[in-house]
Amino acid sequence: MNLRGAIAIWRRDMLVLRRSIFSELVAVVAYPLTIYLAFGIGMQGYIGPVDGVSYGLFIAPGLITMTAVNAAYNESVWSLWFHRKVQFTIESYRVTPISVSEIVIAKILSGFSHGLVKGLAVALVIFAITPFRFPLTSLVAYLAFLIPGSALFSCAGVISGTLMDKPETIGRVEAVLIMPLIFMSGLFFPLSSYPPAVASLVRLLPTTALFEGARQTLVNGSFSIPFSASLYLFAAAAFAAALLIFRSKLAE
Amino acid sequence: MHRDIFPAYHARSCHYNLLFPMKADTAIIARAVTKRYGSLTALDSFDLEVERGTIFALLGPNGAGKTTLIRILTTLMRPTSGEAFVSGLNTARQGREIRRQIGVVPQENSLDRYLTARENLELHARLHTMEPKKYRRRIDELLELFGLAGRQHDFPDTFSGGMQRRLVVARALIHEPMVLFLDEPTTGLDPQSRRAVWDYIRSIAGRMTIFLTTHYLEEAEQLCERIAIMDHGRLITIGSSAELKAQLTGGATYEIEFADRAELFAEALRRMSCVGGLEIADRVVTVKLERWECLAEVVSALNGAELRRISLRERTLEEVFISLTGKGVRE
Repeated sequence: MNLRGAIAIWRRDMLVLRRSIFSELVAVVAYPLTIYLAFGIGMQGYIGPVDGVSYGLFIAPGLITMTAVNAAYNESVWSLWFHRKVQFTIESYRVTPISVSEIVIAKILSGFSHGLVKGLAVALVIFAITPFRFPLTSLVAYLAFLIPGSALFSCAGVISGTLMDKPETIGRVEAVLIMPLIFMSGLFFPLSSYPPAVASLVRLLPTTALFEGARQTLVNGSFSIPFSASLYLFAAAAFAAALLIFRSKLAE
Repeated sequence: MHRDIFPAYHARSCHYNLLFPMKADTAIIARAVTKRYGSLTALDSFDLEVERGTIFALLGPNGAGKTTLIRILTTLMRPTSGEAFVSGLNTARQGREIRRQIGVVPQENSLDRYLTARENLELHARLHTMEPKKYRRRIDELLELFGLAGRQHDFPDTFSGGMQRRLVVARALIHEPMVLFLDEPTTGLDPQSRRAVWDYIRSIAGRMTIFLTTHYLEEAEQLCERIAIMDHGRLITIGSSAELKAQLTGGATYEIEFADRAELFAEALRRMSCVGGLEIADRVVTVKLERWECLAEVVSALNGAELRRISLRERTLEEVFISLTGKGVRE
């Protein structure tokens, strides 16, 4: 497949991101930083160590990951909805020689890029204000979770942005589906807190593979192949679904 | 450039449908194109041919099926049945090749408000896989041609409606298309901006086939060599403006200007059986004749009148349009 069209649209999205990078980063960093200050520092003394590490260190990987995947999801969902329903730019792309798949790939790439940039920004801030330092090998291994995780959420954003015609519906999906999935996956607590039956179900969630896998890699220095593999499978399935749904929506 | 390679496309293509061979001078063909949305038939066995290098207008009331046809011809939509060809290429099977050769000005401006005017053009040049060296020169030309060079680094949100429309037309021309589709290009523009767009369309006429839909009958009359009128998804008539007006059967309308006693003669005319309607405005009497042949009777009836002028009021395209599509307002 020729990806020149996808790259052209991705370059457009990156140009727009570059123009607004400062205001975007301030907004993106503020939320996880507030959570970190409140829970990681403020509540740390009351909570004590979790799984053998301080509570601040326990939640730090999750906050970085949450920022990245939220940014990937938000960029994809709002960008696709805006370009489809407000600006009609998707329509203008479709009368050029690029394929529908290239538009989807471009939007997924853009969401993914937003996720990486914003996740990195939060990571730098957390590293700057905490004494936590992770080995380079752990940081590289962490990318094996962050990359498919951002791609998965970017695909989910493309699916929502394609299916949802009203902005309020997009907000509801985020409140009812995305955020609960993130919070249920042990972002703020260990999975051992769940009753065993529930824990085994929660372990099947893609978000659990992402957050738990990321934490084990950064905090414990261990790499969970099952979590990583399942995350890549979920991302591949989400990509296929995004492509299919976008195609059929445009064919309507 | 595309025009140069066009014969080659024809010569080696499997694009031709053997059942409906396309003439070399035909840019667009629709054969029995039908589009249904559930129980609604938007296009009903629609047939059309548009000659290459002409400016062609498609007229019709709201909901007639104009935009559906454009969406099929520009490969945005597939027909339920029938076939359509653009530059000899089948819209259902050769979409990407068709999109290389067409420019589209949609009803909505669809400009990217987060990119400057120049960046909007650059993006579309890249989507058409143009090389930077080539598209930079082309963008300079287009910005100059459309009077936007001085505002090229501004965002479209800061433009007037006319400027935005010009930018959309420029965007559609970036890759030098062979066929340009304009879907209501001047809707919402003030008369000055509308005329400016007409001038641009005229300036590029001949270099490419221009297919436009419009609600402004004057626009079609001013710009187009051939005009088609459609309604309820079907083609009703097609021809030049003069040919369409000539199709109006029935009587003719004359204006008769009297030096004096207009009311007296108007009364005499009103009593004639072949006069279908009559209006008086000061010393000018407008007479609608049932048949043009009865003009001789009218002239006889005016014997003794001091006349200043008898003139035939030319039929308008609007009269043709209304006579074919009716007066009812469409939803």
